[in-house]
Amino acid sequence: MEIFNLEIAVHNFGPLLAGLMLTIELTLVVIALSLVFGLLVALGGMSRFAPLRWLVKVYVEAIRGTPLLLQLIYVYYVLPEIGIRLNSFTAGVLALTLNYSAYLSEVYRGGIQAIAIGQHDAAAALGMTRTLAMRRIILPQAVRIVIPPLGNYFISLFKDTALCSVVSIQEVIFTAQILAARNFQYFTLYTVAGFMYFAVSFPAARFVAYLERLTKRGYRRRRA
Amino acid sequence: MSDRPSDRPMLEIEGLHKYFGDNHVLRGIDLKIAAGEVVCIIGPSGSGKSTLLRCINHLEVAEKGRIRVDGQLAYCTEKDGDVRPLSNRAISAVRAQLGMVFQQFNLFPHLTAMGNIIEAPVHVLRKPKELARRRGRELLAQVGLADKENSYPEELSGGQQQRVAIARALAMDPKAMLLDEVTSALDPELVAEVLAAVRDLAARGMTMLIVTHEMNFARQVSSRVIFMDRGVIVEEGTPARIFGAPREPRTRDFLRTVVDR
Ligand SMILES: Nc1ncnc2c1ncn2[C@@H]1O[C@H](COP(=O)(O)OP(=O)(O)OP(=O)(O)O)[C@@H](O)[C@H]1O
Ligand SMILES: [Mg+2]
Repeated sequence: MEIFNLEIAVHNFGPLLAGLMLTIELTLVVIALSLVFGLLVALGGMSRFAPLRWLVKVYVEAIRGTPLLLQLIYVYYVLPEIGIRLNSFTAGVLALTLNYSAYLSEVYRGGIQAIAIGQHDAAAALGMTRTLAMRRIILPQAVRIVIPPLGNYFISLFKDTALCSVVSIQEVIFTAQILAARNFQYFTLYTVAGFMYFAVSFPAARFVAYLERLTKRGYRRRRA
Repeated sequence: MSDRPSDRPMLEIEGLHKYFGDNHVLRGIDLKIAAGEVVCIIGPSGSGKSTLLRCINHLEVAEKGRIRVDGQLAYCTEKDGDVRPLSNRAISAVRAQLGMVFQQFNLFPHLTAMGNIIEAPVHVLRKPKELARRRGRELLAQVGLADKENSYPEELSGGQQQRVAIARALAMDPKAMLLDEVTSALDPELVAEVLAAVRDLAARGMTMLIVTHEMNFARQVSSRVIFMDRGVIVEEGTPARIFGAPREPRTRDFLRTVVDR
């Protein structure tokens, strides 16, 4: 039976940590892109321009109805057949961004629609245009509502980056695979890999829970 | 009581019809309000009072009829008998001239009292922030909330919130104010402070169209009372006449039920 081999763990810690850094980098890039793109998708889905709404609907349903793994493979292996050749990192970023933007757009939509109709009325009655009301009144309130669900999505994004091993991004899993092919220390390598994920996602989850409590507190003056 | 109303018409409503699906909610409303006039609308629930107010600032779109604000045709243009809707921006510009106060206050919860008040002056009228704040302080003092400028809505009582909402509407220097049952969501002990703020406005000569269930208040504050039922104006006149000697049976029935209550 295999046992945890401390020597192997120490010896391979460096490359695995490098993999973790790449995982984190990938996660942060996709967070930044999907925060923006997801909002644009959400706003597009609420546009008064019907073709844009349909386009958004098709996009969101297509993404939600197919596995992320398929989307990754599609971007990396199928797109080159029509002349779009992306390096593995870019392909990973693109597929993850397309995937998460679709889900985040639904979160944004929920947040925006949760703002009471009276807020729209009040803004309109003060002479604010729809765009101004959205920017100054609706979105600032919606942000507060969507922070916890967005945080939870980002934690699952962090773990989903593991799928990028299929497009040869040298993140944690890909690195572990390469190392294990050499020394067959599956138990040790994947246990270290697991702890690396956990060491990031557990505190992140606690932080999101803290934000959730914070946002539920309502709007009040900070008292000294 | 206020200065005598002038002859300058501030709000003119002509042949207004509004449907919600098959429900014919406003059935030809004609109403003219002069500058400085305070008109109270009373009537049973569902008679279309709120809808009328919402049509006047285009929160609901009337299917038929014309609205003029200070002599200007609002929300549509007319050329050679051809009626076209205005652009969204132009509609917003008309709304900016009318202040509205809602039953549910509808303050912006993420902004302080002062933030609520200066929001539209700064971002719609492009007034310099400092100027808007100075005016905001005057208005907060006017509604008796000088010490609340940094409070968030949820730190205020209902009566205080509604007074901030009044100040917020006033900050736009509106040509007229539309008030829809501004005390109905308040605990009884908070009604008086809001009514006092409205009375003060009337005394300052603000043109107002007020929907209310407070009959005593309507009697005291208004220059004219309108009784609405089922989408039409049934009867109108001075408060003394409407409350003292209503002509229409429907008005009499309604007043009997509210007095009995
Ligand atoms: N958004 C809407 N959609 C459909 N029907 C509506 C809508 N708003 C109002 N109505 C209907 O229009 C009619 C008039 O409603 P409105 O709110 O104007 O009455 P009201 O006189 O203000 O009554 P209340 O004293 O209860 O406030 C009612 O039959 C109501 O059900
Ligand atoms: Mg009403």
